[in-house]
Amino acid sequence: MNESTTHQSELSRLSRLKARAEMGGGPAAIDKRHQLGKLTARERLDLLFDPDSFVEINELAESQAVDFGMQKKKVPGDGVVIGFGNIDGRLVFAYAQDATVLGGSVGTIHGEKICRIMDEALKVKAPIVGLFDSGGGRLHEGFFASKGVAGMFYRNTAASGIIPQISVMMGPCAGVSVYSPALTDFVVMVEGTSQMVITGPGVIKSVTGEEVTLEELGGARVHSEITGQAHLVAKNDTECLETVRKLLAYLPSNNEETPPVADAVDDDPQRTDDTLETIVPDNFRKAYDMRKVVRRVVDNGNFFELLPRFARNIITGFARLDGITVGIVGNQPIILAGCLDVDSSDKAARFIRFCDAFNIPLINFVDVPGYFPGVKQEHLGIIRHGAKMLYAYSEATVPKITLALRKEYGGAVMAMCCVGMEVDLMLAWPIAKLVVLDTATAVNLIFRKEIQAADDPEAFRQQMIKEYDHKYSNPFHAASNMLVDKVIAPGETRPQLIKALRMLKNKARPKRSRRHGNIPL
Amino acid sequence: MTEIKAPMPGVICDVKVKPGDTVIADQEVLTLEAMKMEMPIASTAAGTVAEIKCGKGDAVQGGDLLVVIK
Repeated sequence: MNESTTHQSELSRLSRLKARAEMGGGPAAIDKRHQLGKLTARERLDLLFDPDSFVEINELAESQAVDFGMQKKKVPGDGVVIGFGNIDGRLVFAYAQDATVLGGSVGTIHGEKICRIMDEALKVKAPIVGLFDSGGGRLHEGFFASKGVAGMFYRNTAASGIIPQISVMMGPCAGVSVYSPALTDFVVMVEGTSQMVITGPGVIKSVTGEEVTLEELGGARVHSEITGQAHLVAKNDTECLETVRKLLAYLPSNNEETPPVADAVDDDPQRTDDTLETIVPDNFRKAYDMRKVVRRVVDNGNFFELLPRFARNIITGFARLDGITVGIVGNQPIILAGCLDVDSSDKAARFIRFCDAFNIPLINFVDVPGYFPGVKQEHLGIIRHGAKMLYAYSEATVPKITLALRKEYGGAVMAMCCVGMEVDLMLAWPIAKLVVLDTATAVNLIFRKEIQAADDPEAFRQQMIKEYDHKYSNPFHAASNMLVDKVIAPGETRPQLIKALRMLKNKARPKRSRRHGNIPL
Repeated sequence: MTEIKAPMPGVICDVKVKPGDTVIADQEVLTLEAMKMEMPIASTAAGTVAEIKCGKGDAVQGGDLLVVIK
């Protein structure tokens, strides 16, 4: 030890280095961010984690590159903050890109830091949250940075289904900073200040001649409504990080745990609710908002909806029943009559697989008239996309409870999980119609010749409709064949679902011996 | 300006606003009957109804312009 080196001297050296790291791209750059309504990487982490719980590591790691003026530009930390801390008292890992340092670009060390914290999260099996604010790979470092970039993709995939991965988009992002999020479970965007694109407006203009702004190309509206890339959108940085905390509260830390059970539930598990009979009209031509049904049934009316503005003909999201996290999948009659199509199949299938991977029981609210007909849907590949739901429900071994509210028509019924798909409990309301086709269409097809030959074809048709309806278009016929386990009053939905969940608590979930299945993608 | 278009082919069974009316986002402006279901067509933005391009009983195609909000 050099005589001039003392605890005191080295502690001051450390604090100088830390201060330099914490300054990122400098006070001017930080001021500029604040003016744009954006927070710095460290401010964001402070909001995300419980107070004083975040521990930063590798804060002194810095770029080793020397070319193109990098020696002068480099900053300790290399433009990304990594570490761990508590969210609602539970361990979570995080990395946050600092756009004030070389635009948050992924240099070699930057990439290695992210990979390092992902490895740590996977080792101890705790969720990881990435706060993205970066244009992608760092060009100054040539091809070196690609190892970290590819390493992020590799680790996202390795961690998939083992720990929850959440990506938070907090600035204009491209390249690695959008493909890594695409591999994770949930993407949250900030309205107005975050964008996700593969090629930016400049490149697009030079190649195809199309003129488009970054926001029009890949803003929060685009990804939450058109592409289905962004599960949630927040108004600003603060609301965004609060949303991430709320989301994590529904999730287990890893695939070997069950989600935390909310304590002190102040919603009676025995609570019945007769208003469900008015929310859902018994006139099948009248639409209603399925989210209203869900909110009346779950604990305290809290339904945490995912992708609320994408493929709105199906609803997906988390809620609690007697404190237990459940995944809700429901048809939405006010949009496309609740028909299934390409986008809604993709949306539901991925959600079902998340729930199955993370031990979250599935509750299916079914009111589906069929697949949305048309050349467009057929040519978009409804066969391939629709098959994803069949696959996801068949594959899922978490408790699966299906409730038939009104229409259970045709092939779409299977896509919503029914008896042949090892549903654990199939419930139906008394007004539900479990049929291959709606009655009028079925009668027209079965009795085509007889209707034509009848003295009064319309009277005959109406009589057949009445007979067919009485015989088949009800849950009692299905119940007599054990295709429905229990017909329940609408008002009893909540207590019945809770009893079913309790019964299924210790459901055996045998592991299949195979590398992995081959879901139609 | 916001254009509200038909999400699918169907028949307009009710027009719930008139030109000059103020609407909020997600407010029902029309009812469309399609796939044997009467569904609300909601405004996607807040504003004033500038034009109504359809009437009760009209058959519309998916993508047809129905209402203009300014």
